[in-house]
Amino acid sequence: MKPLTLWQYEVRRAGWSALLGPPIAVAVGIAAALANPMPSDTTTARILLGTLEMAIPLAAGVACASLVGRDPAVELQLTSPTSYRVTLLRRLGVTLGWAAAFAVPTAAVLIGTGWWARWPANHGALVGQLTWVAPTLGLSALGFAAAAVFRSPAAAGALVTTIWAIQQFFAGAAQEHRAGRLLYLFATTRGAAPDDWTANRLTLLGAAAALIALALVVLGRAERLIGEEDE
Amino acid sequence: MRIEISGLTKTYRGGVAALDGLDLTVPTGMFGLLGANGAGKTTLMRILAGVVRPSSGRVTVGGHDLATGAGRTAVQRELGYLPQDLGVYPDLTARQFLDYVALLKGMDDRAVRRRRVGELLEVVALTPHADRRLRGFSGGMRQRVGIAQALLADPQLLIVDEPTAGLDPEERIRFRTLLSQFAGRRTVLLSTHIVDDIAQTCREVAVLAKGRLIFRGTADELVRRADGRVWSVVTDGPPPTEGTVVSALPHENGMRYRVVAADAPGPGARPVDPALEDGYLALTTN
Amino acid sequence: MTGAFAASLRYEFRMQVRKRSVWIVPALTLVLFVLIGGSLLRDLFDPAERPPEARTAVVGLAVQLHGLLAIGFGCLLADRLVRDDRLRVASILDATPAEPRARLLGKYLGAGAATAVPILVAYLGFALAYAVDSGGPGAIGWALVAFVVVFVPGLLFVAALALAGPLVVPAPLFRVLFVGYWLWGNVVPPDTMPTLSGTLVHPLGGYALTALLHFRGIDGEDTLAGPVSGATLNFLRPDPTPAVAVLSIGVLLALAVAVLACGHALRVRRAR
Repeated sequence: MKPLTLWQYEVRRAGWSALLGPPIAVAVGIAAALANPMPSDTTTARILLGTLEMAIPLAAGVACASLVGRDPAVELQLTSPTSYRVTLLRRLGVTLGWAAAFAVPTAAVLIGTGWWARWPANHGALVGQLTWVAPTLGLSALGFAAAAVFRSPAAAGALVTTIWAIQQFFAGAAQEHRAGRLLYLFATTRGAAPDDWTANRLTLLGAAAALIALALVVLGRAERLIGEEDE
Repeated sequence: MRIEISGLTKTYRGGVAALDGLDLTVPTGMFGLLGANGAGKTTLMRILAGVVRPSSGRVTVGGHDLATGAGRTAVQRELGYLPQDLGVYPDLTARQFLDYVALLKGMDDRAVRRRRVGELLEVVALTPHADRRLRGFSGGMRQRVGIAQALLADPQLLIVDEPTAGLDPEERIRFRTLLSQFAGRRTVLLSTHIVDDIAQTCREVAVLAKGRLIFRGTADELVRRADGRVWSVVTDGPPPTEGTVVSALPHENGMRYRVVAADAPGPGARPVDPALEDGYLALTTN
Repeated sequence: MTGAFAASLRYEFRMQVRKRSVWIVPALTLVLFVLIGGSLLRDLFDPAERPPEARTAVVGLAVQLHGLLAIGFGCLLADRLVRDDRLRVASILDATPAEPRARLLGKYLGAGAATAVPILVAYLGFALAYAVDSGGPGAIGWALVAFVVVFVPGLLFVAALALAGPLVVPAPLFRVLFVGYWLWGNVVPPDTMPTLSGTLVHPLGGYALTALLHFRGIDGEDTLAGPVSGATLNFLRPDPTPAVAVLSIGVLLALAVAVLACGHALRVRRAR
């Protein structure tokens, strides 16, 4: 078990974006719910759950896309006996943990105030946490893997935001086929086929695991990390 | 830790051969590595530090084979490394940066870490600036932070790439002395193109050119490569065209040139005693 | 001024256009776009599914590609200004006699144009393929007009945001906020919440699409600009006419200039 101090340093290395993203995401989601001019229980509940299913995964995903490629002391890191992959996994953990630190209380408040139950496709208080866990892990793993492959936070961030946006703009088209439905990020609040929900969440978790594994394999080639960057 | 290198080749993408069949043994103590820019020094340093993988050949450090992950990790536990272009985290203070690197090196005990960081800040004369963010540090101050981090875990192998770049003359001399004192039974590999740094610290030297070893021996042997080939020429005309001009100093009769050349580079040229720099030039311009 | 601007424009363009990610991100976006069912990209080449009019087809394609590819465009540009500091070249450039405003303008237009090249290539490429497939050469003309009145003002606006935004917030956070803004300010229906969608400040080009290209969605039933019953901010949604469409383009360009000027002022203040 590593000292807490090391984790504190890794929090700083994860960066302001990782720290500011989740609270801003929650704030924007609540503001959107309050700004809803036709407040009905269902639409407001949908926006509030959307904060967890859409905004938090986006913030975490882009933050994770920025973890590789901009480390000024990368050469020093690569010569340290602590594997740089382990260090990056710590930063990934910090980023996701911070997102969870905002998602869990938000979900608890929604459950406590009854807003959770007002969205018909809520899937319960416990299993329903996959509403934010699955897309957050899925999009974050995608960002992390893209960053490992491209070594460019700009490219990885662009990919994460674009995929998020495609699924927003073309929600119906994206779910026309089963493969698209299984990989759809917003199956709780915009899901066209609720029967696929559990399979969708598990697929997202599986995809996240596969993408992180891919990232770790790519990151194993230390030489790439000090090579020519796509500046 | 003895370093043994045999048949080491490193070819980068695009077919650029940075190292080409290098054979070299580095014993315990101070060892200098000389070579022009692009000679392959940094690639060799990075291979020894476990960052870059060789294309072919075998490298062992203290008996650990760098081709294996376990071997690389074992070497990195004993390694202090100062890269040529040291990057730091600008939002951390010097003390925090060293504390973080110490943690990465496995120094988990807080009290030990604090004491060691404090000692090294003192060694590199940064104690008064220890709690300033690195963002505001000059190049020389950053380099001193780099030197401190390399010494953190009392390494058995110290690899330093252009360590005196950016240091003022006083700091350079102090750092050279520090390295010599540190070496003892450890191995210190000093790569530089500042020949004077090698002359003042290393008994043994290797010279690389275009990825190949062109010299391996003592500093005295390298100096002797220039025996009878170093000349002093005073002229008020154009500089000598024969050989390589080492220095040019204003003189009452024009300019005094120090030239490395096989034959006297002009009338009035007189032979002078060679220095290490002359030996290096005689070797590399031959 | 002209020399510094031209040099900056030329080199920023070259540096950006040879970045692999400038090409990979739009390419992956298009692949995903083709893979998802029901996208216009696929329908364009299906005589049974494609819109009957060439204008509707290529302008509809412009809306979809602009809506999607502008996100990657903004994200890829988001570090171009702060990058100079990171690579430690800012102080070298600042020490040259080149006018900083000229350099900024050159960087803005050079990097922006380079990042837009793949978008132009993709859009005109699909329009050309459609023209060949459908036997309607008029599609090319409509595509060029759509590029000028829809893509260019929108991308100029986005590029200004992307260059200046990361001076205020970290680039990754800017990317999050930008995509949120893009969704909110372009796609959210005006009657569901207060939004800039369909107003004069609509980088997706609602007024140009409606009043200059006579486009109201693939099915001809969408309101892309103008007042919406029950919506807030309708004072920013005058009736769409060609003059108002030109005004809307002018507003976007003026905002882009204002954002760039703010970014420039911020950099100058920090450098002191």
